[in-house]
Order: sequence, then C-alpha cells, then structure tokens
Amino acid sequence: MSAEFVSTGIETADFPTGGLALAEVRGTKIAVANVAGTYYAFDDTCTHQQCSLAEGDLAGTTVTCMCHGAEFDVRTGAVLAPPAPSPIRVYRVRVKAGALQIEV
Amino acid sequence: MSAHVIVGASLAGATAAITLREEGQGSITMIGAEPKPPYERPPLSKAYLRGEATFDSALVRPADFYAKHDIRTLLGVRAVRVDTTRHFVELEDLRRVHYDTLLIATGGRNRRLSIPGADLDGIYDLRTVHDADRIREAMNHGRRSVVVGMGFIGSEVAASLRGKGLDVTAIDRGKTPLARVLGEDVGRSIAELHRAHGVRTVFEDSVAAFEGDGHVARVVTRRGVQLDCDFVVAGIGIDPAVDFLDGSGIHVDNGVVVDEFLETNVRDIFAAGDVANHHHPLFRRRLRLEHWQNAVRQGAAAAHNMLGQRHPYDEIPWFWSDQFDVNLQYVGFHTTSEQRVVRGRLNADGYLACYINDGKIDAAVGLNRARDIRRIMPLIRSRLNVDLDRLQDESIDLRSL
Repeated sequence: MSAEFVSTGIETADFPTGGLALAEVRGTKIAVANVAGTYYAFDDTCTHQQCSLAEGDLAGTTVTCMCHGAEFDVRTGAVLAPPAPSPIRVYRVRVKAGALQIEV
Repeated sequence: MSAHVIVGASLAGATAAITLREEGQGSITMIGAEPKPPYERPPLSKAYLRGEATFDSALVRPADFYAKHDIRTLLGVRAVRVDTTRHFVELEDLRRVHYDTLLIATGGRNRRLSIPGADLDGIYDLRTVHDADRIREAMNHGRRSVVVGMGFIGSEVAASLRGKGLDVTAIDRGKTPLARVLGEDVGRSIAELHRAHGVRTVFEDSVAAFEGDGHVARVVTRRGVQLDCDFVVAGIGIDPAVDFLDGSGIHVDNGVVVDEFLETNVRDIFAAGDVANHHHPLFRRRLRLEHWQNAVRQGAAAAHNMLGQRHPYDEIPWFWSDQFDVNLQYVGFHTTSEQRVVRGRLNADGYLACYINDGKIDAAVGLNRARDIRRIMPLIRSRLNVDLDRLQDESIDLRSL
C-alpha cells in the first residue's frame, strides 16, 4: 500500500512556534512539534509508560515526556534520555493550504 | 588494557557497563547476586505488580545485549570480599576476578521487622522481581492485605493492591505517609488520596506482632489494633549492601563514602547508585539517594571517571512515584525548610510545593505538576534567591522567575 498524506486538522496559523499539538489520524495519536516554523510529527505515545508526548515540553528539537523525563529527538524519534526503552515513530509532514498533513 | 569490574548487576551497574563499552577500551565484567540480567525496579511496585507489564519490558537491555557487546556477566553469584592490595574481587564460589578499576553498585537490602511472628509465611517485602512474583502469587490467593510502612514503596504497593481490588490497610509510624521526606501536610494529601481510593490507614502506630499458625492471619499493633489478613507487605527501608567490603579498607559510613567524582578513599574504586554516599558539590553535603535517576546518572558518571575523565557528579536529584491516578515528582534535596511556598492547594487534586531555605528553593514536590517540576529545576540549580510572592502566583510562568 502506498503512503499518502492525511490531514491532521491542525492549522499552521493556530500553531505557535515552540509548541506541541495533538492530532488523531486514522486511530493513531500523533504529536506535532513546531520547531521555528519547521513541523515534525511523531507518535504521541511515549514508549516508556504510554504518556502523551504532546503534553510534554519542547526545547529545540527535543521533546521531554512529563511523566518520567524520557527525551526524544523529534526529527528522528531517537531516544535521547531514558527511561524510554525504544524510539518513537516519526512521520513526514507537509503544509497544504495552511493545514498540516502527515504521511501515513 | 584495563580490566573494569562492576559489582552489582543493577541499573547503576548496567548503565556503567554500557557507558564503559561505548566510550572506553578494556574488558568489562559485571557480577550480580541475582540470577536475572539487570532490570529497572520502579515497575516492581506498580505496573509489574499489577500484572500490566512484563519482566522483559523492565530489562535495562535485552538479555543477549551483554554477550553481544563483550560484557562478561557473572550472575547469581555474590561477591564476598575485595582485596584492594592485590586488586581482586572474591566470589562466594571462591573464584577471584582481577580488576584495574572497580565499581561498587550493590544497592541495598531490605530491612526486616524483628518482632514476634516476623518469620511466619505470608509476610513479604519488595526489592527484587522474585519478591514481586511472590507478592503477585499472594494477591491471587488472598483478598485482605496489610501494608507496613508508607514510604514510597509501601505507598505504591498499597495503591497497586487497592487498584487490583484487594482490601488494604496501611500502617505507618508517622502522622501521614511520607512524612519524613515530604512533611506532614504534603503527606496528608497522600493520605487523602489513599483513603479516597478505599485504603484504610492506621497512622502513629506500628506493628507489635504478627499472629497465625504457620501463616500470618492477624497483625497486632502497639496501640492494640487487630487486623485480620491474608498477607502482609512490609516496606520499611533498606540498608546499603556493603558487608562484602569488611576489611577491604574502603571507607563505609551509611553506604560507600565517595567524593564528588564518585571515587572512594581507595584509588580506582568507585561507587554509584543506592549504595553510594556521595559528596554533592551543589548541596555541599553527603547524599545517599535510593532513586532511579540517581542510579542511571551516577552509573554513567562513574564510568566516565573510571576512564580517567574526572567529572564531578552534580545532577539535581529527581524522582517520581505513581500512586492511583497521581504522578508525584520531587526535585532537589531538602531535609527541613524555613518556608514552604505552594502553587495551588495542598490536596490530592495537584499542587507544587517548594521547600525554601535562605530565600532559595532547595527542593519541590508536585502532584500532577510534572511540567512545573521540569521548569523549577533550573531555579534549584541556580542557587539564586527567588521572589517568593511571584513563585506563589500561579499566573506567573516559572520560567520567568
């Protein structure tokens, strides 16, 4: 099955730089980060204990899970700090007519 | 080529081994008294105890990681002696393991109650996955439980047992849970949380005896409360596991005494994690901490220093505790406080309480305030005076203080 871009329902106009937002795309919770105007999308669910990363803190390209402090690189999904045991999945993002779409 | 030896296949020990392999040369041997590969203990009182997480998910690395990365593991065998003159660790099976640098990461052993009936069946404590498995088995057969000691382990176990629908009565000597660490009014909010979820609480009392015929059937307190029960879980603290250092010349006083570099009085011998009594450069005092972050970060820092890097360890202590639907986090260090500033109200709905001395924030505890805890870390690290009125004002972003 070929990948396609799907709407997140997030408008760039409502999404401040340095912010995190949550979208639900085809039953999967996906977090989106606005890093100085570049958007990154990744699984919202921390691989440690399933807390929401959209509820976390974003500093540069690092998202920190609020529950237990795990850190991920929003560009690659790589674990930057434990206790997360494994990386998060990342998604390609594009902006179409002022709205964010991700590739699924 | 250096021989790095780690006593303790623990979170601190494994983190050190992984760091040594990533950043250094030489052989690495990790010795562990438990038969299991290194694992994280936080789930044992929570998701693992409730049967919601597997043991594999608690492993620091997959079981085959160590062999794949040329880290020798000697598991299920206790170290019994260290000879610091001839540089070897002796194991209980009389094998000797030579070291050039040595890390002590043996953690602690649970304290046991020494009262009548303490040797009855059905009385458990919790440190290892084996302990957790025994409690899980008891949960399958009994419905009435008593938790002795409402520190972090006791409080989490009480929450997990109650979460699985068991009857729980919790006993603590203090006026509230966690009173010694967090103070009584913060403790009251934890007591409120537990009672709201149906835990019966008995405070300012302690266990006088366990009664039963072979198996515990009743707990009797000093004040005369009698509690019929199917099993008991005691969480009354640990003692650092240092027996094997007797006669080694390594300085022991409330754990292994180490300097800011995590090095003992004996050159090339380090300690990390629960067992290490560390001189913290920021708080300018000795701290021996029994928490996850301390094990991870000290394990890595000790490895750096075993490789000759001389990095002082100055991380701000931080820990969490999940009980029912509350995520508690604490950051910093305090024993007493001249002032306490609270954002929000001191109840189980959530707040941030800051412990202040000399106008500086030494520590803070938050209930469901993880974001505030993250944001207050730099204020604690700065050791600068803060405006307490602004600190108390919820409308002011902590990052602007």
